[in-house]
Amino acid sequence: MSFHRALPLSLLIGVSGATYAQAVEISYLTHWSPETVALLEGAADRYAQEHPDVSVSVRAVPFGDLLTTIRSQSGSSGPTISGIYDLWLPELVRDGLVDPAPQNATDEVRAAWPAGIAAASTVEGTVYGYPNEINVYALNYNKALFAEAGIENPPSNWDEFLAAAEALTDPGKGQQGFGLINSWNSGVVHPFASFLVSNGGALIADGAPALDTPQAGGVFGLYDQLASNGWSLPEMGTADANTTGPYLDNFVSGRTGMIVMANWWESALRGGMGDDFANIGTAPIPVGPSGEAPSSISYSWLTVVNASATDEEKAAAWDFLTWLNGEGTGEDGASAMADILMSMGILPSRTSDVEANAAALDRDFLAGYVSVLENAQAFPLVLGGQEFTDALQQIIESLEYGQISAEEAQETAQADAEVILERASR
Amino acid sequence: MLGPATALIGFFILVPMVLTIWLSFHEWSSQTGFSAARFVGLRNFEDLFAPISVGRDFRRAFVNTAVYTGISVVVMLPLSVLLGLVVHQREVRGGQFLRTVLFATYMVPMIAVALVWSKLYSPSEGPINQILGWVGIGPQPWLSSPQTALYALIVLNIWQQIGYFTVLAVAGLTQIPSSLYEAARIDGANRVQSFFGVTLPLLRRTLLFSTVVAVINAVQVFEPVVLITQGGPAGSTNVLTYHIRRVGIERAQGGMGSAMAVALMLALIVAVVAIFAFNRKGEEQ
Repeated sequence: MSFHRALPLSLLIGVSGATYAQAVEISYLTHWSPETVALLEGAADRYAQEHPDVSVSVRAVPFGDLLTTIRSQSGSSGPTISGIYDLWLPELVRDGLVDPAPQNATDEVRAAWPAGIAAASTVEGTVYGYPNEINVYALNYNKALFAEAGIENPPSNWDEFLAAAEALTDPGKGQQGFGLINSWNSGVVHPFASFLVSNGGALIADGAPALDTPQAGGVFGLYDQLASNGWSLPEMGTADANTTGPYLDNFVSGRTGMIVMANWWESALRGGMGDDFANIGTAPIPVGPSGEAPSSISYSWLTVVNASATDEEKAAAWDFLTWLNGEGTGEDGASAMADILMSMGILPSRTSDVEANAAALDRDFLAGYVSVLENAQAFPLVLGGQEFTDALQQIIESLEYGQISAEEAQETAQADAEVILERASR
Repeated sequence: MLGPATALIGFFILVPMVLTIWLSFHEWSSQTGFSAARFVGLRNFEDLFAPISVGRDFRRAFVNTAVYTGISVVVMLPLSVLLGLVVHQREVRGGQFLRTVLFATYMVPMIAVALVWSKLYSPSEGPINQILGWVGIGPQPWLSSPQTALYALIVLNIWQQIGYFTVLAVAGLTQIPSSLYEAARIDGANRVQSFFGVTLPLLRRTLLFSTVVAVINAVQVFEPVVLITQGGPAGSTNVLTYHIRRVGIERAQGGMGSAMAVALMLALIVAVVAIFAFNRKGEEQ
């Protein structure tokens, strides 16, 4: 082959090789809001400057559609990276939808995150993703309404809590003492579980449902008291597909005195309340008669990689996640992910991110959450966890609406949970 | 050309149906290949009728779907005939405009309908409660109460679909020869007697078609539930299509979801056969 014939071919090969190097496109599926997606896209752009051979596109769906989207688009054309709720991980692993983390990522997760949080990214000893956010629950209360009702301090135990709920209730103003959420599975079950662990109980103990304990009975009874006395009006607690709706509206507009909610609501509360956000106080969950200290359940989110992606896409995805969650890729030594999370009022979970954001985490609203982190108990990650959550949600809502008694609720919840976990383990 | 066409239709209709029926007898995660399906006989169907949460939720969704369908059809069809009679009369001014407005609701995308109606139903600032307040009726919870949420969705469904069925009714009315009304009038029939003696019998085929379509549409209700209520509160708007999606896709319980789909299909077949039988009996009489 002569030189003048070989040159165009060489150029063609060179160009096609460069094109191939440019062609690693990975996608990132999340449920974040457009503002937060913009931050993630900004981080992806910074990564692309250092890695011109990889491009990252971000796609967002509402939280309510996230799991369905992950499951229905799990093939090779699906998103390369997905942000998932840790409860979903065991079943996604069982179905072979997520890629085990490479050794370097595994080592980093185990070394740089607290053991309990790293465990939530692990199934049978294998790490499947980078943990990012951690959420716990606390009591949010309206200081202005407390002052009007003559209550000086947030309740620290159930007696004080019920007394405050009664004092804050004013049917004439359409005002309820405590807001119970409905129509959103984890939104219903997580506050219930937080009251339960603050009463010395647990949803699942030693792999078996523990809803038949006196501690659990106490929480069903607490909910019954709130609803039957009119201190909580379930009609004011409906959530919509974006997990806001009348429940949020009633709290931000001062028609609900107290709620139990996770820290990630800070941005929604700020957005809804404006200057009135200064009226919101945060306190630990009131301790039940069988409990010893305030507690909360905790749950985390992690980013996983599609098992059906190509090897090049997987490699690029893990490299991007390592960078995104890596120390120093964000402000003041934090990770880029931590910066994104902190913009929403979400607690980062990497140990170095917590240290880098120590001052920001000390602000009034978040400090109440950080204080319960130490005693928080992880929401149980079991096969059938999603169905278990759905079933318990239905029972709690039936109790709130007065369709069943506290005793019936407890009995049915335990029976359902036993069957669900047994079926899932077959 | 009939052979290839039949084969194509058979492939795209029969194969998925047969596959669904086959899967209903298996335990199968919808994220795995069909080869991973494990035969469990009638267990999925037994679970649907067992006193466990999966059965309880299915039965509740079944009843909700039946109530939604029954009320939608019973209210919508007579209303469509009534509106059809109004807009069909040529002497009524603005009849054409009214027909266009009625049909327009059918063309509005459900996402827009959901956004508007969820605000209309808002307990605190919703216009419906404000209007009720003017006549001394206190605020109603609408979508926030298990007692009213399903009915609120039924009203929304009727509002959106009534235009379509009115157009069908008008199409049926135009097929009735005016000479029959003239003959009835000569025989001394008044308007009511003409309606029951001429209009209704000759609208029978139109109404049969409308009923079947309305039942199928209502049984397949999905979008307003997903967009507005997510099956709540307390499962009061959890309908079968939404529940099957939750079980079959979110929980990946493909075998159980298929069993639910088969049960829904059987119920729909029974309902449609009953409608045809009822119609035939009426024709014989």
